[in-house]
Amino acid sequence: MIEGVPFRDDFLERYLCSHDVSSPPLIKRFFKIADGVFQPEKEEDVLRILKFAEKKKIPVIPRGAATSGYGGVIPVRGGFVVDFTRMDRFEIDEDGRILVSEPGAVWWDIERELNKKGLTLRVYPTSAFSSTVGGWIAQNGYGVGSLAYGSIAENVTRLRVADFRGVNETENIHLYAGLEGTTGMITKAWIEVKEFEEMQAYAFHVSPEKAVKLVFSSDSYSALFLDEKYIRMKNSVHSTQIPEKDTLVVVSKKKLDGDESLGNEIWEARFYPMKIKRLGPGIIPAEVIIPSERLSEYLQRISGWNAGSEVWFIKEKLCAVLSFLPWDERKASYTYQWRFAVKALKTAKKLGGRSYSSGLYLSRESKEIFPGYNELLRFKKEVDPHNLLNPVKVFPSGIISKIMALAGVF
Amino acid sequence: MKMDNSLVNNEVFVCVQCHYCRVCPAYSVLKWESVSPRGRIYMLKGIIKGEIEPDGEAVEDFYKCTTCGACEAVCQTSIPLIDVWERARAEFVNSGKAPLPVHKKLRDVAKKNGNPYGEKRGERGRWAEGYEFKSGAEMIYFAGCTASYRMTELARSTVEFLNKMGIDFTYAEEDEHCCGSPFLRTGQRDIAYQFFRKNYEEWRERGVKTIVTTCSGCYRTIAKDYPEIARELGYKWDFKVIHTVHLIKELVDGGKLEFEKSNDRVTFHDPCHLGRHMKVYDEPREILRKMGYEVVEMEHTKEESLCCGAGGGVKSQFKDLAMEIGKIRIDEALKTDADFVVSACPFCKLHLNQAGEGKIHVRDIVELVNERAKPLNTGKT
Repeated sequence: MIEGVPFRDDFLERYLCSHDVSSPPLIKRFFKIADGVFQPEKEEDVLRILKFAEKKKIPVIPRGAATSGYGGVIPVRGGFVVDFTRMDRFEIDEDGRILVSEPGAVWWDIERELNKKGLTLRVYPTSAFSSTVGGWIAQNGYGVGSLAYGSIAENVTRLRVADFRGVNETENIHLYAGLEGTTGMITKAWIEVKEFEEMQAYAFHVSPEKAVKLVFSSDSYSALFLDEKYIRMKNSVHSTQIPEKDTLVVVSKKKLDGDESLGNEIWEARFYPMKIKRLGPGIIPAEVIIPSERLSEYLQRISGWNAGSEVWFIKEKLCAVLSFLPWDERKASYTYQWRFAVKALKTAKKLGGRSYSSGLYLSRESKEIFPGYNELLRFKKEVDPHNLLNPVKVFPSGIISKIMALAGVF
Repeated sequence: MKMDNSLVNNEVFVCVQCHYCRVCPAYSVLKWESVSPRGRIYMLKGIIKGEIEPDGEAVEDFYKCTTCGACEAVCQTSIPLIDVWERARAEFVNSGKAPLPVHKKLRDVAKKNGNPYGEKRGERGRWAEGYEFKSGAEMIYFAGCTASYRMTELARSTVEFLNKMGIDFTYAEEDEHCCGSPFLRTGQRDIAYQFFRKNYEEWRERGVKTIVTTCSGCYRTIAKDYPEIARELGYKWDFKVIHTVHLIKELVDGGKLEFEKSNDRVTFHDPCHLGRHMKVYDEPREILRKMGYEVVEMEHTKEESLCCGAGGGVKSQFKDLAMEIGKIRIDEALKTDADFVVSACPFCKLHLNQAGEGKIHVRDIVELVNERAKPLNTGKT
């Protein structure tokens, strides 16, 4: 298709690159599948793909590891998927404590190299074993370390981005973070890292209210709260025997008076939040950001659903709550149970919260997620006048956002 | 196409598509989603949901998998992926979309000769000329096809070692048949069942109670697949199955074996069929240390070990891919500055030596053991 740029357009590869981790019912029938999949090996390849797409007026959809569930990588209107797997090089500036990475590099590969140099990531996603630098920035996720260091965007100092005009190096991270490639494709990122420090995880059996107080009264690195139902689910699939009580895990370099052994056990399993899918098989997720002082109320209000929740604490007294309702995705009732995700978001909004992310399914939430939404929309129109950069994502348009609005009514 | 197997039908819905299985050696080389374990699972799900009718290219990509089990070791939802791949391949064969051409040829050849190498059945025991074997004993040495026809030094080393140790054993020579591993891995289960019957009857006739093999592929097949096949076919299964490393370790621990020491620095390559498939990691390393070797580990070791690239029918059908995977493993071995690589599988030795192109030598543990064995208290003079 473009000489020298790896490309496939057989049905199987197109089919496989036209979904993410989500399995939403019904709505999938409105999605097209990709027309082809490019795997650029260098920035120049990305520019050539963009030029080609612009000439043909075909959408281009960037793809990292596709480990998110907001539909950001789905080629809803067809087009070319740009899979960054081969652009995975990175360098470490030890003195400046800066990671300079291509978008396809995987967080845990980076962490292993950083550790060899006595450094470590400030923040990383719980999907770090596979998720990519570009993908997580484009999602602007929270995760491990977000209590001390906030979102990934807050740790990115510079981006190099390709769009139809060429390549641009910028410190205006907010024009790209969380925008799913709708304003340009990240080709390089400069990310702050920190010195490696020995830390321990401590477990406390406390209520959500007490957990919030404990977390925000210390200056710990990271904190995770698991509710009783989620622990019960984990025990049943992990063959673990974690006490089935609400549990807070705090990770700190300071010695705390919590249970170290249990803390470490839960902490080691932080990369496997979706293991409970086996219980369905299938899970219906709901992911929201809420003010920490409303955490207890939120968990109480969604308790009727029998979902399990894990909570990652974020600086500025926020928390990211990820709740899972196991349900057999092959059953007809699966569709009906998706009301859980909608209801959970409504509940969070009533309590001053918002959706964790926007992507495709929740593009109507973008105005609440992005404080400068109107500025972003203007920028989008400026850099992408033909709406070819991952269309239908973040900036709502078309039938999907209408369907999601309708779902909200029920 | 229908995908009737219940294991496959259930497990594909358990996958969360997290891509932790990107550690797959074939995916690491080829980079396309269709070759990744996650992609293969999603393809199976697509078949079950009627969204995909796999064409020849899709089936080929599905077979670009060494069934090494690296994916299973990291799977977030603990899917028994090796079984899923093998059962799905059997479904492809049942539906006429497989076997792939070379795999079919291997089957035709094996059906005629009892081995997939196209060698004459009568010559299976040719390597053993000069040795004498009893017609029956409680222990049988199962040489396997690769050691019988391609890596005969392993078979000879094993027999010499057993003789040195005064172990009473029998060997079936031309009455030994392929264990069936290449066919179970490529979905051609019926011919593997035929070989099972032949080997089983031979072992019963010779009064065998314990089967010892030097080949990790044969070990996995006889220790793990055969009991299941026996159950399926209604055969009684009461054989003890061991790899030579088990036997050596037992002799060392029992004070019956010492070694002439070596100061060499070696690195151990875990054969997938011995390691991830059967969870045998420590025995070979302990034996090597007893022999005085300095054992250094490669970056990926034990459960995380990289595959040599030869298994699952990849070497026969996709030679270039197998070589690329093998070269990655050789590069890891070179980084350890080891004097040579040790493994415990003739197929790994064969393939890694080819992929290494002389950069580093690969030897089998049984060769080293036989060369350096100093039997104690064997009752032999």
